[in-house]
Amino acid sequence: MANDREILREIWEGKLPVCFTLNPDEVYELQEPDRFYLMVPRISYFPLVVDKVRKHFMRYIANDKQDQEMWLEYNGQALKWHYPIGVLFDLLVESDSDLPWNIIVHFDKFPDTIFRFNNKELVESYFMSCLKEADVLKHRGQVVSSMQKKDHNQLWQGFHNDKFDQFWAVNRKLMEKSADQDYFKHIPFRCYFEDNYKQKLVKPITEDGKKKTLSDLLQEVYPDRQNVIVRTHGVEPPLETPLQWMSEHLSYPDNFLHLCIQS
Amino acid sequence: MPSSLLFGINNEGRVHTLSTSSTLWRELPYAGQEFKKLSAVPHFLWALGGDHQVYVYVHGLDIPIKVREESYENERWIPIEGFSSRLLPTDRFHFSSEDGTADRSIDKIRLPSMAWQWEGDWKLELTLDGQPLDHDGWTYAVDFPAQYYQRKQWSSYVRRRLWVRSRRYSAMNSWCAIAPLHKDATAEPFIDISIGGQGVAGAEPGTMLVWAVTSHNRVMFRSCVSTKSPEGAKWLHVTTPPSCEVCQLSVGSTGLVWAVLLDGRALVRVGVTRDSLFGDAWVEIRSPTEGVRLSHISVGNCAVWAVSQEKQVWFRKGVKGEGAGTSEEHATGCGWVEMVGRMSMISVAANDQVWGVGASDRIIYFRMGVTSSDLTGKRWRALHAPLQVSRASSNASLSREKLNHSLTSLTNRPHSITETTADVTNSNWEEQSHSAPTAPMSLPVGDLTGKHFETTLKNPKAWSPVRSVGSVVGTEAHPESDQSVWQADSNSYSSFYFPEDEELCWAECEAAWTWVEAGACTVDAVQLPNWFVEAALLQQVDLDKPWRLKILSELKDRIPVDERFSQYEKCNDTTSWVHTGEAKVSIKSHGEFLDCIIQLEWMYSSGTVTVLNPDGATTLHQFSVNEITCIQNCSEPGNPRLIVHTPRILPEYIRFQFFNDTTLEEWQSHLTAACGQVKNISGPAHTNSLWAVTKLGDVFVTDSKEILEIQRQNERYIVEVDLGAKQEFIVHYLDTGLSPGSELEIYGCLTDDVDRFAINLDVHTSYKPKHKSYVDFKNCALHFNPRFSDGVIVRNSLIGGKWGEEERDGGLPFEPGQEFHVIFVVREDAFVVYVNDKQFCTYKHRLPPYFISSLGIWGQVQPFKLKIKSPVPLVSPIDFYWRQMCGHLKKVESCRAGVTWAIGFDRTAWVYTGGWGGGFYSTIDSHNVHPMTDSQDYKVYENQRWNPLTGYTSTGLPTDRHMWSDVTGKQKRTRDQVKLMSMHWQWVSEWLIDFHVPGGVDKDGWQYAIDFPATYHANKHFTDLVRRRRWYRKCAIATTGPWQELGHTKLLDVTLELVDDEPNEKIAVWALASGGQAMIRFGASKENPVGSMWEHVSSSQPLSSISCGPFKRVWVTGKNGCAYWRVGITLEKLDGTSWAVVDPPCGNQLKQIACGEAGVWAIDTLGKLYMRTEVSPTTPEGTHWYMIPVDPSLLGHAQNKLGDTALNETTFKYVSVGKREVWVTTSTGLLLRRHGVHSSNPLGSGWDQAISSNWQYVSVKGFN
Repeated sequence: MANDREILREIWEGKLPVCFTLNPDEVYELQEPDRFYLMVPRISYFPLVVDKVRKHFMRYIANDKQDQEMWLEYNGQALKWHYPIGVLFDLLVESDSDLPWNIIVHFDKFPDTIFRFNNKELVESYFMSCLKEADVLKHRGQVVSSMQKKDHNQLWQGFHNDKFDQFWAVNRKLMEKSADQDYFKHIPFRCYFEDNYKQKLVKPITEDGKKKTLSDLLQEVYPDRQNVIVRTHGVEPPLETPLQWMSEHLSYPDNFLHLCIQS
Repeated sequence: MPSSLLFGINNEGRVHTLSTSSTLWRELPYAGQEFKKLSAVPHFLWALGGDHQVYVYVHGLDIPIKVREESYENERWIPIEGFSSRLLPTDRFHFSSEDGTADRSIDKIRLPSMAWQWEGDWKLELTLDGQPLDHDGWTYAVDFPAQYYQRKQWSSYVRRRLWVRSRRYSAMNSWCAIAPLHKDATAEPFIDISIGGQGVAGAEPGTMLVWAVTSHNRVMFRSCVSTKSPEGAKWLHVTTPPSCEVCQLSVGSTGLVWAVLLDGRALVRVGVTRDSLFGDAWVEIRSPTEGVRLSHISVGNCAVWAVSQEKQVWFRKGVKGEGAGTSEEHATGCGWVEMVGRMSMISVAANDQVWGVGASDRIIYFRMGVTSSDLTGKRWRALHAPLQVSRASSNASLSREKLNHSLTSLTNRPHSITETTADVTNSNWEEQSHSAPTAPMSLPVGDLTGKHFETTLKNPKAWSPVRSVGSVVGTEAHPESDQSVWQADSNSYSSFYFPEDEELCWAECEAAWTWVEAGACTVDAVQLPNWFVEAALLQQVDLDKPWRLKILSELKDRIPVDERFSQYEKCNDTTSWVHTGEAKVSIKSHGEFLDCIIQLEWMYSSGTVTVLNPDGATTLHQFSVNEITCIQNCSEPGNPRLIVHTPRILPEYIRFQFFNDTTLEEWQSHLTAACGQVKNISGPAHTNSLWAVTKLGDVFVTDSKEILEIQRQNERYIVEVDLGAKQEFIVHYLDTGLSPGSELEIYGCLTDDVDRFAINLDVHTSYKPKHKSYVDFKNCALHFNPRFSDGVIVRNSLIGGKWGEEERDGGLPFEPGQEFHVIFVVREDAFVVYVNDKQFCTYKHRLPPYFISSLGIWGQVQPFKLKIKSPVPLVSPIDFYWRQMCGHLKKVESCRAGVTWAIGFDRTAWVYTGGWGGGFYSTIDSHNVHPMTDSQDYKVYENQRWNPLTGYTSTGLPTDRHMWSDVTGKQKRTRDQVKLMSMHWQWVSEWLIDFHVPGGVDKDGWQYAIDFPATYHANKHFTDLVRRRRWYRKCAIATTGPWQELGHTKLLDVTLELVDDEPNEKIAVWALASGGQAMIRFGASKENPVGSMWEHVSSSQPLSSISCGPFKRVWVTGKNGCAYWRVGITLEKLDGTSWAVVDPPCGNQLKQIACGEAGVWAIDTLGKLYMRTEVSPTTPEGTHWYMIPVDPSLLGHAQNKLGDTALNETTFKYVSVGKREVWVTTSTGLLLRRHGVHSSNPLGSGWDQAISSNWQYVSVKGFN
C-alpha cells in the first residue's frame, strides 16, 4: 500500500518555475508584453494552468487572432497538451539548470503535430480514462468500477484543486493491492522516448515470486538496449527500486508511472 | 459497531473470550468446572460441562433481569357483608391473573430457581392509568370482565386490586447449572447443547431457543427460554424418526435446527415458526457423498456448514434462514459443496461469518471474504491473538519458557500493549493474581451492574449438579475487581498484562483449541478486528532502503533555492468557481416542481445561488448564499429533494428536486460547504449549541456565537434596521423582548399633512378557548400616539383587548414635515421617552417589558432607521444558521459541557465524537466520523370486510378505506409500492405480519372491529364486520457521522447534566433502557464523554421519559402517565434514594417531561403542554400543572405553510428546557421558542418561530 507519505507529498508538491513569452511575431501592440512568470505543478497539465497566461497576452495580439487556439512551444517543439507538465519537462529540457523554463506562447498557426486539448472537460475525461486504464492493469478494473460517481468526482476535484488529502482519500483505494493479492496484476507505466511512448504488460514479480525492479522493467521494454537512464519527477530512480513500490509511490495522479528514457 | 465476543475452549477445558475490540484472548474465570462445548447468543452462554451437565452464563447486561409478578385480588359485594372475598361460583379466583383465568394465589407464587431472588415484599399498586387510587388500591366495576374505575359507585358490585412483587435473576456473570433430567444426574447426562433462535420472525422479543442431546441420543428442547427467563422452564423430549440417533445439533438465529446422526446423516427440523418454536417435523438429509459421514454441523442465518468424520468441510447451499420456518426447501437447502481446509469443528455466526478449529494444528481459523452474496468466502485465515494463561492452568508452565520470547514480540506489536502501559495500575493486577484461582471474573463486556448478590455457597467446587439437584448458582462475580480490569468498551483501562507479575502471562497462540463459538460474535467482513497480526509492518522495512533515500533526497533537491522563483505566481486559483446543474424547483410553497437550471457561483468570499429557466435565459430566483440559514433534505421516497431556507427574503424557502440521490448529495455538499465558508463555520459543534433533529433523522446544530459577535459593541448588543423611509405599516419583531436597560431609537420624518401616527410596542396576542374556536385578545405594552389635531401625545396600554387609562400630558414636541428622533429607554419600572434628545415623559410599565414581541409604526410618518441597544443578545430564532451533522438519529441530547449523546431509531445509543461532517460531506470536510447504521420498519395495513357469502374478503364497500392502507386508512399503501427513502437504505427483511400490534392480534395477525375507524381487538366477536392486520418490513441505513456507538444496551431516552454546575466537572448521565428501566452512568466528563458504566436505578413502574435539571433534580414520566422526581440526590449519592410521585394533570397522562432552570415542562399523550408551577428548592415537586394553549395563529400558519390537512390539529410533540429558554416542536414540524420566559414569569407569553421544517426533537440543554 502506498503509505510512504513523505514521498507522496514530495511528488505532489513538485513544481516548476515557467517563464512564458509571447511569440514576438504575433505582437500587435507597439509595446512588447511583459513576460509572464508562473509556478506550475509538475503533476498537472498545461490546459489547467494557462488561463492566466492567455488573459495576460490576449491584449497584445491582433483582434482577429484572439479567438484562435493558443499553443505552447519550447525549443522549436510544440508542447503536447495531454502530457503531464513534469513529463514534458523531463523529456524536453536537458538539465535543471535551465530554469526557469522558457516557453513561447503562440496564438496563430496551430500545429498539426499536437491534439487540440484546450478545455478542462477534455482534460478531465482524459485523466479519468487514464485512471481507469491503470486500474484495469492493476486490479482488472475492479476498484475503479466499484467506486461511486462521488469518488470519481473527488479524485478529479482533489487533483484539480490541489487538495492532496482529498485526492488521496480516494486514490488510496486504487493503490491498494486486491484482497487476496500481495502485488498489482500489472504495473501501469509509459516509457517515453523521443516523440513517443511505449507500454507493455509487466508484472511486479517474477514467476518465482521475486520482486521485480526498475532494471527488470527496462530489460523487458528495451531488451536490446544497455545503460538506459530513466527520469521521472525530475529524479533518476535507482535501477534497484522495486516496481511495486514505484507504482505505488512514483505514479502521477493518473496512476501511471511516466518514465522518460534518456539516450 | 459495539464490541462482541468470540468464545473458545482450549485443550484443558477452560473457556476463553476474544473481544472484537481487543487483540487478546482472556480466560473466563475458572470456577472448578471444565467445559466441553459452548453455544452462545449475545449475553447468554450455554455450555456443556466436563460432568456432561448443562450450565448457563448470563453476562454483560446493564439492566438486571427482573420479572414483575402480578396478582389481582378480587372481591364481590354481598348485601349486608359488603365487599368480601367470597365470590360467586361462576366468578374468577380470589387471587387471579388480570383476565381472571388463572389462579395466582400469592403464597403459591414462588421463585423459579435458586438463581432468583425477591426484591421486597408484595405491594399494592396504587395508580390506575396514571390517576392515584386510595391507599388500599381498590378499583371498582359492575362485574368482572368490565371497565374498572377509581371510585365506588352505586352500581359497583365487584372490586379488585393489584399486588405486585419483583424478582431478580441474581446469578448474573456466573455459571448457573441447569437441573439434570433425572434425580440421579448421571442417569442421562447430556452430550450436546445449542442456543439460537434470537431472530425468529414475529416471535416475542427476547425469545431464545435451546436444544440439547442426551447420552441416550434423545433430543431435548428447553421450553420458555427468554431474556426474562434465562434458564427456561423444563426439558421437553422431541421425538426423532426411528433409527435416527442424534449426536450433535445446532440452532441458527432464525430457529432453524440441523442435527447430525451417529451414522453420518443429517436431520433438519422444519416448521419452526413463532407459533411452533420447536418445529413440527424432521427431514432427513443424506450425507454429501457415499462414505462421507458428517460429524459436526453449525447453522447461521443463511449458511449451514458441516465437518465430516474425515475432517473435510462442507457447505450446504440454498439454505435461507428467513423462509426456513415456512418452506422446507429453504430449511434444507439443495446440495453440499466441499470446501478446502480440514477442520475439527466449525461455528457460524448469526451474520454467516464462519470460524473453525483446524483439524491437525488446533488453531482457530476465520473464513475470509464471506459476504451475503458469497457465503462460502475465499480462504481460511488463522487468528493470531495472544492468550492469557493463568497459573491455575498447566499450560502456564508449558508456556513459561516461551514467555520471554512472547514478551519481546509483544513489545514490537504497536496495538497490543505498548500504548496502554501507562494506564494500568499495578494494584489491580496484584489483586487479580492473588485471587485468581478461586475468585472468578466476569466476561470483559459491557458494564457490570454494581450490585452483586449475597448467596455464597459453602463449597464453591461442589456445585456440579451431579452432586446436587435443582438449578444451582455457581459463584458470584466480583464487580469491583472485574470492572477495573475488564473494560471492553473503554480503552482507558485496556486489557493488559504487567510484565512484573510472573503468575499471569500472555502466550503466543500455541494453545491448542478444541472449540470455537461465534454465536455471539458480530464481525464486519469489511472491517475485521485486529486479530490477524501478520506481516503488516513489512512496508516499513522499505523506509531505510538506499534507493528510497536517494529518491527522497533527489526529490527534495529538485528546485534550486532561488529568490527569483519565490515571486512566481501560483497557478491554482480556487477562489472562484461555478457549479451548474439541472434540477426541478418549487418556488411557491405548494407549487409544482418545474425544470430549472441551478447555479452556485462562488467569488472570493461570497456566493450566489441562481435558479434559471431550463433554457438558461431568464432568472427565476436569485439570492446570496449569505441568506441561507438551513439546507435540509426533504426527500420523499423516489423524490430526492432539498429545501433551502432563506427566511429573511421572499420566498422564505425554495425546494429543489433532483434526478437521483447522488446529484442531491452533490448539491447538498456544495451548498453546505459554501454556507459554511460564508458563515465561517467549521470544526466541531460549539459547546453551547442547540441541537435539533428532523423526521428524516437528520441532525442539525446551531449556536448564536456568530450573530453575537456581529452585534456585540461595548458590552451591549446593537442592531440597526433600515426602515426604508416609506409611509406604510411597519412591523419589526423583537424576538427577545425588551429587557430593562434596552434602548429603542427611531429616526424618521413626518409628512406635511400629518394628523396622527403611532409607535406601538406590542405583546403577543392572548387566546382564550371558546368551544372549538378561540377568542383572541390583542395586547400592547405601550401605544405612543401623537395626535396633531388635539396637540397631544396619547400613551396607553392594551391588555387583554381592553384599553387602560390614557396619559396625555406633556404637549406635542413634533413638527409636521420635520425629521424627528424618538428614544424609548426601558427601565426596571417604566419607559422613559426622549423626543429629539429631550426627555418627554416616563410611562410606568403595565405589562412586563420582556413580553414585548414587536414594534409597530403606522400613520403619516416616514421612518428611516431603527436602532436597538440591548444588554442581552437580540437573536431571533429564524436567524440561526443550522449546520448538519451527519448520521441518522432520532434524538440528540446535549448539556452545557458540550457532551452530547444521541439515540437512533433502533434505540442504539451514540456519543458525539467532537468531529464533524460524514454522510454527504466529502472526506476533507469531515473529521472523526465513524460508520453508523440504523434501522426502521415500514408498515402497511391490510384491511378486510366481512360479507355474508364469502366471509372476510378484500372487497370493501365503496365508502371503505383502501384495502391496503396506512394506519389512518386515507392513504393507499400496497406492499410492493413502498419505496425506500434514499440509496443509503436497504431492505433487510421481507414483508412480515406484525404480531405485536397494540390491542392484540389473533394467530394470523388479524385485529377485528365493528367498523373501520373503531377500536380493534384480538378476538373476533359476533358483531365484527371488518378486520385488519399490520405488515412490516425492516430497512437499514448505512451512513457515517461524528458519532461513536456506545454499547449493547438500547436506550429509550437520555439526559445529561453537570453534577456541580462547573463546565469541567463530572456529568451525570441518566437514561432509560428500552424496557423503561432508569439507569445512571458515572464517569462521564468533557474529556471522557462516554463515561464508564451504567448503574441500574430501580423504579416501581416502567418509565417513558427522563430529564434532569439543575439543583440535582431528575424528573421522569412513567408509562402509566404519572410524573416522578428523584428524592435524595446529593454529591455523594448521585443516584438519589427514591422516586416521589407527582400526579399528572387531572384526567391526562404525561408522556414526556423536561426539566431545567426555566422550570419543569411536560407534554401529555394528547399533545398538550404543561408547566409545573412553583417548583423551587424548597418545594421541588411544585404545586400544580398549568396548561399552555397552542396559539391559533401558529395553527393557521402551519396549515398554510406545510399544507397539512386542515383537520390536523397542531399538538405539541416535544419540549426541551434549558437555562433561560423553552423550546418545543409541534406535530406539524414547527420549532418554537417560548417568548418572554423570565424568572418573574416562568410561563412566558406567546411563541417565537424558527424556520419551519420537519422538526421532531430539539435540545436546548447546552444552549446559552
